[in-house]
Amino acid sequence: MELLKQTLWVLWKDLLLELRRRESILAMFFFGTLLLFVFHFAFEIPAEKAAEMAPGLLWLAFLFTGTLGLTQLFQAERENHCLDALLLSPMDRASLYLAKVFFNLSLMLLIELVVFPLFWVLFNLAFWNLLPSLFLVAFLGTIGFCVLGTLFSAVTLKARARELLLPLILFPLMIPVILATVRGMEIILRTGKFTEAFSWLRLLIGFDVIFFTVGFLIFEWVIEA
Amino acid sequence: MSAWGFVFLAYGIVWFALLIYLGNLKRRFRKVERELSSLRSSGGLKKNA
Amino acid sequence: MAGTMQKRGRGRRVTGILALAFILVGLYFALIEAPPDAYQGDVQRIMYVHIPSILTAYLSFFIVFIGSCLFLWKREKRDDILARSAAEIGVLFTSLTIIEGSIWGKPTWGVWWTWDARLTLTAILLLIFVGYLMLRSLIEDENRGAVCSAVVGVIGFLDIPLIHMSVYWWRTLHQPPSILRPDKLPWENVHPSMLIALAVNFAAFILLYFYLLSLRFRVGEMEEEVKTLKLYGGAS
Repeated sequence: MELLKQTLWVLWKDLLLELRRRESILAMFFFGTLLLFVFHFAFEIPAEKAAEMAPGLLWLAFLFTGTLGLTQLFQAERENHCLDALLLSPMDRASLYLAKVFFNLSLMLLIELVVFPLFWVLFNLAFWNLLPSLFLVAFLGTIGFCVLGTLFSAVTLKARARELLLPLILFPLMIPVILATVRGMEIILRTGKFTEAFSWLRLLIGFDVIFFTVGFLIFEWVIEA
Repeated sequence: MSAWGFVFLAYGIVWFALLIYLGNLKRRFRKVERELSSLRSSGGLKKNA
Repeated sequence: MAGTMQKRGRGRRVTGILALAFILVGLYFALIEAPPDAYQGDVQRIMYVHIPSILTAYLSFFIVFIGSCLFLWKREKRDDILARSAAEIGVLFTSLTIIEGSIWGKPTWGVWWTWDARLTLTAILLLIFVGYLMLRSLIEDENRGAVCSAVVGVIGFLDIPLIHMSVYWWRTLHQPPSILRPDKLPWENVHPSMLIALAVNFAAFILLYFYLLSLRFRVGEMEEEVKTLKLYGGAS
């Protein structure tokens, strides 16, 4: 499959670059942790309320950290007319979209894998056994974020004030994901099971599928504009 | 504020805003119409020159 | 070419006059003829502008969606102008909806703002509209700006049902349904004048909307023509 090969090729390039220079992932990781610290000072979180507020705070931290990653997403392509070169090649534009989505997704998942337990330690939470289920919900939400975020990262690529514009456009459209992820995590923390959270999870999956498809189809027009 | 006070406040804001916007549009319309006709006439001169 | 312009101008004027007529009749029905609500009193009359405003705002967004889709497909300038015009007027009507809702809420609920589903959704709609317009103004290349904002227009519209669902679930799970919502229409014992008032005002708003849209569209077309003339000299 030509598309898959091209996607993997671009993805491999990005991952290799990241592995060597580690700029995005370190910055994102420290920013995410820093946010957790700031939350601790900004919100008085008594021990009983910590579990209630955990999903919201965590997801806020991921949202801002992820936005940081998104603004960096096409950085490599912007330098040295790399993007023009890519567009001149007969490469399928959709594979660039797929590669960027997976790249951002990998970064965010790695960070979440570390930040989740870190949050648990910092805020003295119990329920360590629920972490995998919580992570699954966060995973679905992160997919939604990456899918739409990558598209809008490309949309705002050549706009002025893009660091401000990107969240301005992205966040209102992300509201279903924010609501579904946080409510889903809350329900799991409260009841320990998935059953009540199913409608939220279905919404998340629907969101992911719809906007993955739309992004996949539309990206070509955006990147060539 | 009485009930009618709220009603008049709401209706007042709505129609005021709509009127302002309409006035704005009409002003833009007249301005661009003038510009267009001046460009057209001078453009015609250029063509013939 | 000039013939269609004239026909359009005439159609616009007719719409405008009709709109004015309906507005005046609507005002009469809303403020004088319709009786005050059994529970809320006269404050409920705000409904006669609030409901048409909401519907007009959503209609506008739908037109942004259609314009954006058509533009992405055919790349014809006029579709972009349509989308842009509808977005501008949409921001106006959405803002008005929020203001009306807030004013209605103060005497009814005692607060200027509440995170109930209707107000929250309208606020989100406004944010998406604003994002659309800001994107346009911050991208310097004309064509790229048009394509990119069209993408926002399409995705924004596709997202609306999902936003709707998530906000409604969130609100119904957390708030007791005992709060009297001003948009809950009491269908039993409805006085016919109330329905007429609503219908007339609704027609008035729709007519006014299309009048404004058509005017704004024409302005947009002419501004485009000015730009082209300036760029390429007298060839028209």
